[in-house]
Order: sequence, then structure tokens, then C-alpha cells
Amino acid sequence: MRFEQEPVMTIKVEVFASPGCGKCGQAKEVLRKLSAELGAGRVQWREVNVLEELDYAVDLGVLATPAIAIDGMLVFTGLPSVRRLRGELERRLTAQPL
Amino acid sequence: MSISSSSHTKRRTSARGQGQTPARGYRIGEVIELTGFSADTLRYYEKIALLPRVGRAASGARRYSESDLSRLRFIQRAKTMNFSLEEIARLLEMRAAPQAARDEVRELTRHKLKQVEAHMETLDALRKELSLLVNLCRGAAAGCPIIDDLDNRNKRNAKPSK
Repeated sequence: MRFEQEPVMTIKVEVFASPGCGKCGQAKEVLRKLSAELGAGRVQWREVNVLEELDYAVDLGVLATPAIAIDGMLVFTGLPSVRRLRGELERRLTAQPL
Repeated sequence: MSISSSSHTKRRTSARGQGQTPARGYRIGEVIELTGFSADTLRYYEKIALLPRVGRAASGARRYSESDLSRLRFIQRAKTMNFSLEEIARLLEMRAAPQAARDEVRELTRHKLKQVEAHMETLDALRKELSLLVNLCRGAAAGCPIIDDLDNRNKRNAKPSK
């Protein structure tokens, strides 16, 4: 899935998950909450099943799950703390022209 | 191969791994163990001049030098890239005297370098993919959910469509 057609004031977050991965559920839950907290539509996120998009995951450098990419760049390998993830999302949102 | 003969080989290999060629050279049996080439292959490489004429003991038996072994290891590596024997012969020419190599040989060497680099990229992608798969299986208490998932998918895909 590509996001080229999306408006520029949002950030695109991808959570790489896999079957049997316990922490992936946590990652999604945290992201769901933060996305709501930071304002409707500003954080657009989706789950990427690495088995369905293996080439894409490998291209980005994903070597384990969960992993989080922001705007097509792998940013977190593993489950980040809520504080770190919120900090990173806020930093990127404020760095972008609204 | 017995354990004792294996450790014996390792001892000899490491003793000679410091660039010391044994005074009498390596016997063909030792070269077979060190390189994995068969006796027939070693003789064939000499016959087609991939190896220069190998030294002989007084008995007439072949005695391989460290330089012969080095060439054989190069041949072995080149064969893993599926280079032809003819190409390997040219590359050995370059290897023996890079400054004096003909343009055609230099060009072939450059071309082969590109092939090796492309191959490394492919291998790197495969390494990453396999690392990911191994990591996905790690931590799963019972079996590997990833493999199960892939298996189930393959089974579904294998079913004839109605």
C-alpha cells in the first residue's frame, strides 16, 4: 500500500506484525490510542502482516516484529515505550507544515 | 572420516596455515582433504593447465605447493559463482600478474567483480529475509506459528480452484 496521494500534513505509520507475536497487539493498541490522542487523521496507521508483505518488510530492514516505520522509514525495532513513541510522533507532526 | 583422522587434518592444516609450505609439499590425499576436489579433478586441472605442472617427489608422486593450494582455493571460490573453467583460467592469469594482464582479461575481471557484487546483494536480501523468519519463530512456545501459517497458506493455494 502506498500513501503518495495522501495530504502532506499527516504522518504515515506502519506497524509490522506477524502471527503469534504477542507484543504486536500491544504495539497496535498503543498506536491506536496515540493516534486518537494526537488528533483525528493526523496519524494514519496500518498494520503490515510481514508474511503478506515480506519483500516490503525486508526492504525496510525489518528483522523482527513488532517494528514501526514512519513515512516509509524503519524507526523502531521492537516495541517502544508509549513515551518514546508519542515523542517521535509529536516531533514529526510539529516538524511538518500544517 | 574418523574423528582421529579429522583432528589430525586440522592440526596439520593449522600448522601450515601460516604460509609455511611443507618442505616436501602436500600429497594429493592431503589436497583432497583440504579442498574437497577429487584426485581426478586435481589431475584434470593440471592437464588443462589451470594449475602449472605440479612438482613431483622422487617416486613420481605429485607434491602440491602452497601456491598450488592457493590457486585451488581460488578455483573453488570461482566455481561457487558458476564461472566456467575457461573464465577461471583467465582470472588466474590476472591473479598471477595483474599488471601484465591483457585488456580482455582485465575486462573479464571487472565483469566478474560486478557479478560477484550483484550476487552478494542477492545473498544479503536472502540473509535478511531468513533472519526475519528465524526471529519470528523465536519466542514461540509451541512450534513456529510462522511456518504453520505459511504451510496452511500453501495448502490453501494448492487446492484446485472450482
